[in-house]
Amino acid sequence: MKRIVLISLALLLLSLLFAWGLLFYPMDSRLPSGASLEAPSGEHWLGTDNLGIDIFAQVSSGFFHSLSIGLATALTAFLIGGALGVAAGYAGGRTDLLVEFLINLFLSVPQLPIMIVAGAFFGQSSLNIICIIAAFSWAPIAKQVRARTMSLRKSGYLVLAKSYGGRLWYLFKTHMSRDILPLLAISALAVTGRAIVQESSLAFLGLSDPLAKSWGLMIARCTAFKGIYFTNFWTWWLLPPVLALVLSTLLLRLLTRALESYWLEKE
Amino acid sequence: MKKKKLLSLLLIICLALSLLGGCQSHVNAPELSGEESGGGAESPYAVETLKLAGGTDWGTPSPYLNVSRGPGQAKMRLVFASLLEKDERGDLPWLAESWSFEGNDYTFTLFRGLSFHDGEPLTTEDVAFTIDYFRQYPPVTNTLGVGESFIIDSYSILDDYTITITVKEADADTLSNLGSFVILPKHIWEKVEDPYTYNVPDCLVGSGAYMCTGYESATGSYEFTAYTGWVNGQQAAQRILFVPVSDELLAFENGEIDIASMPADLKDKYMNDPEIGFVEKADDMGYKMLINFERLPDFLDISLRRGVYAAIDRQSIVDNVFRGMGSVGSAGYVPESSLFYNEDVVKYDYDPEAAKDALGDGGFEISLLTDDSADGISIAEIVKNGLEAAGMEVTVVAVDSAGRDDRINTGDYDFAIVGNGGWGNNPPSYMRTLFSDSSKYLSTSPASMGPRGYSNEEMTALAEGQLKETDFEKRKAMFQELELLVSEEIPLIVLANQSSYSMYRQDYYDGWMKTYAYQQAEQNRLSYMAR
Repeated sequence: MKRIVLISLALLLLSLLFAWGLLFYPMDSRLPSGASLEAPSGEHWLGTDNLGIDIFAQVSSGFFHSLSIGLATALTAFLIGGALGVAAGYAGGRTDLLVEFLINLFLSVPQLPIMIVAGAFFGQSSLNIICIIAAFSWAPIAKQVRARTMSLRKSGYLVLAKSYGGRLWYLFKTHMSRDILPLLAISALAVTGRAIVQESSLAFLGLSDPLAKSWGLMIARCTAFKGIYFTNFWTWWLLPPVLALVLSTLLLRLLTRALESYWLEKE
Repeated sequence: MKKKKLLSLLLIICLALSLLGGCQSHVNAPELSGEESGGGAESPYAVETLKLAGGTDWGTPSPYLNVSRGPGQAKMRLVFASLLEKDERGDLPWLAESWSFEGNDYTFTLFRGLSFHDGEPLTTEDVAFTIDYFRQYPPVTNTLGVGESFIIDSYSILDDYTITITVKEADADTLSNLGSFVILPKHIWEKVEDPYTYNVPDCLVGSGAYMCTGYESATGSYEFTAYTGWVNGQQAAQRILFVPVSDELLAFENGEIDIASMPADLKDKYMNDPEIGFVEKADDMGYKMLINFERLPDFLDISLRRGVYAAIDRQSIVDNVFRGMGSVGSAGYVPESSLFYNEDVVKYDYDPEAAKDALGDGGFEISLLTDDSADGISIAEIVKNGLEAAGMEVTVVAVDSAGRDDRINTGDYDFAIVGNGGWGNNPPSYMRTLFSDSSKYLSTSPASMGPRGYSNEEMTALAEGQLKETDFEKRKAMFQELELLVSEEIPLIVLANQSSYSMYRQDYYDGWMKTYAYQQAEQNRLSYMAR
């Protein structure tokens, strides 16, 4: 429990810092506010990029860009994975066979190449990125939820409630959600972290909105700058988005793990 | 037991065979290099290999399959030779040993002993065949014109080495155009009915100083090997390799490639290094923005185009994207450093207020097409910021450069940013294909393509007229008049010109050169010849 609080606190602090950067920091994340490639200073905390746009403002805005894509993806995967998992686990029979087939299909195909092709095909927008990542994130959730539902289905209280005429939604709401929702929530949190990395990868490969202020794009544009490693520009242009990406996904992952073990212990 | 023994024997045999097979598949390549390294003192070549940055697929280096951009053409022109070549001062013999002209008749005499890469002799029959073939099937890079505007009227073969080509109307560029079409082997192409899909090894049997001995489209790798049957001079390298690299500069530092472009921020580091040599390309790369008037006829109103100029902070493209190495583009198109530049062209200043007045009420929502290179996207960002501040709504669409070119060729864009080299060419013959209504290349390369849905008679008259003028000063004056008109009428928006340097290790090879007409050392054939 203590670990969960600590990690959540660290995540909250990180979010507050970036929220401050987004709302109160005087520099714009889209428009130039200084000269090209200014080193960090009191005015520009983390310096500026080649177009003179403040790096801290971009990293802050990137946090919410990445986080919102991560959360939207997680929510989509949560809904699809949860619904299909419960339906398959509860209904059994043909529905189960079909869902199981879909789950295995999405788990077995190589994700990144298909994401790249889909990204290139459907075009560069945040919505497309969310759909593509969500399409590859619901399967593991559905698999876990399905297994859980199957084991619940046979429990006495559920059989009884069903024999009294309880419909699926009623049964889920009153008897199953207590067991399934924490599992769903933890899986969705894991998806958030993974989605942030995947979004950055797709952005790095040029498959997102080309001017979005996302970490993946910041990294891509910095590494494409000619001779960057022979100058010291990378120390303030490349490191901040890389560190922000590592730190936020690491914290999310740690939080997921902590919640998982807490839940298992509680059980 | 016996069975087991038999099985293991079989396995051993299989293994041995596969090893042998493995060796065999490598026989061809190392044999070449063995010859090179052993050659040492006797080798006729200045260097064994010249390595350049590859990684981009510029198409099969054949006249019908190369990509219609400088790097694609240059590779094709290593394999296929033309009648003449250019050096720092003027025209040089290439396949033709000598030439003369009188009126509309141009007579070329070929070198003795010329041959194609398969050993078949190259004669005037092949030159004549190529003319007929190109008339029927225009190649990717076509200096002879298409259909009605095919510049050659007839030819007569005097003997195996001498041919007289009669043009419809001789002008200032005729010799250059006749001198630069590449010669195809008649014995191969006379059987080919669809050259645009003819992609078998035979299509690489060329007439040039180098043979294409390796090409892999997926990795953008090329290998060219000196053709021993070449008679006009000696190649400088036995092999030229275009190798895929992830970072050009790191590859240059590690000796993986022999020439690279110098980043502006490292000018001091390399300029002070006595071992490094440079080829300067002044204002040679340029970026322009095309407006598709067919889609946005409102912009035929000149006040809107002036508004676009006023909206874009073009100096920041030079300062921030080119890191100071370049200049704001002249609205007359020809860059300031050219001898054909007209000082009196209209200059448009960055004026956000004026831009807002001109564009603010239009409620324009446009998409801005660019390539997905770092520079392309940065420039698009500056343009978008400027246009949005003036009240337009801009969505940037970035695709790879070939995709961008395709979309421009088919007119699938609102505004499009195009970057290309060759702006420093002298004379600025690109002005004709850009601004003459009758010579616009509407479906080849956006680099020399005129604005869609725009026409101007006066501009056409000047762009075509300069061609007929053989007096240098008069021709220059016509170009300058055209520039002035272009700057006043704004058929397209000139963004900025980038200067750059190619750098190389002088002690390894210092034959890199630029011609009087073309500044890209890596793309000039003479850079690969001993001189």
